[in-house]
Amino acid sequence: MKKYSPLTIISFLFAIIFFLSPLIAAGEYSFRGLNGVGHSLINYTWIIHQSGFYNNLAVSLRLALVTVVLVMVLLVPTVVYLHLGGRKWRRLVEFFCLIPIVIPVVSLAIGAQVAMPKWLQSTSYELCFFYVIVAMPYVYRALDIGLQSIPLQTLVEASQSLGANWFTTLRRVILPAIASAMTGALFITIALTLGEYTLASLLHFRTFPTWVTNVSQENILGAVALSVATLVGAWLILLLLAFIPKFKRNRKGVLVHG
Amino acid sequence: MMSKTGTAAAVGNHSSGLTAFLHKCRTTSFWGIVPFLIFAGYFLFWPIFSIAKASITDNKHHISLGVYKLLFTGNYREAFISSFKLSLFSALLAGVLGAILAFAISKTSGAVKSFTNSAAGVLANTGGVPLAFMFVAAFGQDGLVTKILLFFHWDIYAGSFDLGNFWGILLVYCFFQIPLMVIIFSPAVENMKKEWAEASDSLGANSFQFFRFVTAPILFPAFLSATLLLFASAFSAYATARAMTIGNLPLVPLVIGTLVDGNVIPSEANLGDALAMGMVFVSGLAIVAYLGLLRFSKGRS
Repeated sequence: MKKYSPLTIISFLFAIIFFLSPLIAAGEYSFRGLNGVGHSLINYTWIIHQSGFYNNLAVSLRLALVTVVLVMVLLVPTVVYLHLGGRKWRRLVEFFCLIPIVIPVVSLAIGAQVAMPKWLQSTSYELCFFYVIVAMPYVYRALDIGLQSIPLQTLVEASQSLGANWFTTLRRVILPAIASAMTGALFITIALTLGEYTLASLLHFRTFPTWVTNVSQENILGAVALSVATLVGAWLILLLLAFIPKFKRNRKGVLVHG
Repeated sequence: MMSKTGTAAAVGNHSSGLTAFLHKCRTTSFWGIVPFLIFAGYFLFWPIFSIAKASITDNKHHISLGVYKLLFTGNYREAFISSFKLSLFSALLAGVLGAILAFAISKTSGAVKSFTNSAAGVLANTGGVPLAFMFVAAFGQDGLVTKILLFFHWDIYAGSFDLGNFWGILLVYCFFQIPLMVIIFSPAVENMKKEWAEASDSLGANSFQFFRFVTAPILFPAFLSATLLLFASAFSAYATARAMTIGNLPLVPLVIGTLVDGNVIPSEANLGDALAMGMVFVSGLAIVAYLGLLRFSKGRS
């Protein structure tokens, strides 16, 4: 084990306190009983019995699925291309991926209302395309880091000299090699989609977050429970994803040494 | 750097075909980027262009900048000023704290590092009602942290602090701004060479001198540019601001939100478009400054 400097340890302690205390406080809050007396699970059972819980969760999950597929299909080939032959386009793509962090989502929502065709605006799947835009910066970064850490050039050449075509190379060589980077990107995309409120609310679609906002006006404790459940769920998936790829890699031991 | 050594070693048609292909990519081809450009063009740039067009077209379909005059009056001016102030403070505060945390994370490795990186991604995207509830539960009048601090005789509500006003929102924004800073700033910190610390060490510098004369000058442009992005991110935050305030702090995204919801009927139909363009303009300034800094720091090294 490495020894950490006191400054590092203090920074980590502060970060843990600052980021965990709201979560813990909300957790305690959410277990309060009827009228704030005692502790019970009543707020959690209340959520599930609300009308619209399953419907809206299903809508958001479907949107998340479509967004994940779209963002991967769009960005994986693009980033691989940038790493292989298209290096000169890198600056441009990096710049494009910066803009969604900076351009206000509110502006994007207004623009979508003005610019998108009517048939697209009539379905909630319209949101997926804009979720892809919003997720792009994070996904690009994750994939870029993943591809930097593997000897992509050598892998592709080896695969091609063994007679594989581009599709096979992508599917059987590149994708497994960047699997952990992809799971990271996947998780961020899902977290973002399941929590996105601005676009959904301004474009007048009913999704899980907008439903939570509506329901929260009726029962504050229930809404806190809902928020905690969402976040804890997200963190559990995160923990799983952080450790599964490592385990798998150790077991196979193929790509670690390139 | 690219395929020279690899192709020399490998024999056969496929390899030479690949070399030719890679060569073509480097010189002429741009097919690999086309789907990305089309997607970003249609779903990112076309909407922005459309509001720009709508904002300069008045009710009679004439081109006019009249609506922009409204942005400099009354409530709209107030909203821009308070949005600007909040974003500036939050960018500086989260910038410094996030940079410190990025340094701490750079000292770790393996599972801890990959976990903190993913955690930063998740935290940076936390917002809206869930975040507001968490902070009310922790720092509200009746919150857990408030009570604990009160136990140590620190009443955070003794002054003018309130979760719904300026300082409260600043605190809440830190929750997603600090992780965002970690995400943006970490690559620069990781690029610091180990040899520099060793060289400075062998020349007899202590760690403060190393920071003052080596780390700080090298990372300052990256720090400033990351802070500019934080500014833009705070400037555009909507869900959290909406959940935290009850109309007591006018912020531009909130004003636009009420216009879109149809609760308020503006005197000019395209006022919302003009406000949105105003936001794009302020954020655009931050991006231009960011790119300028990036070029400056690249040119120097």
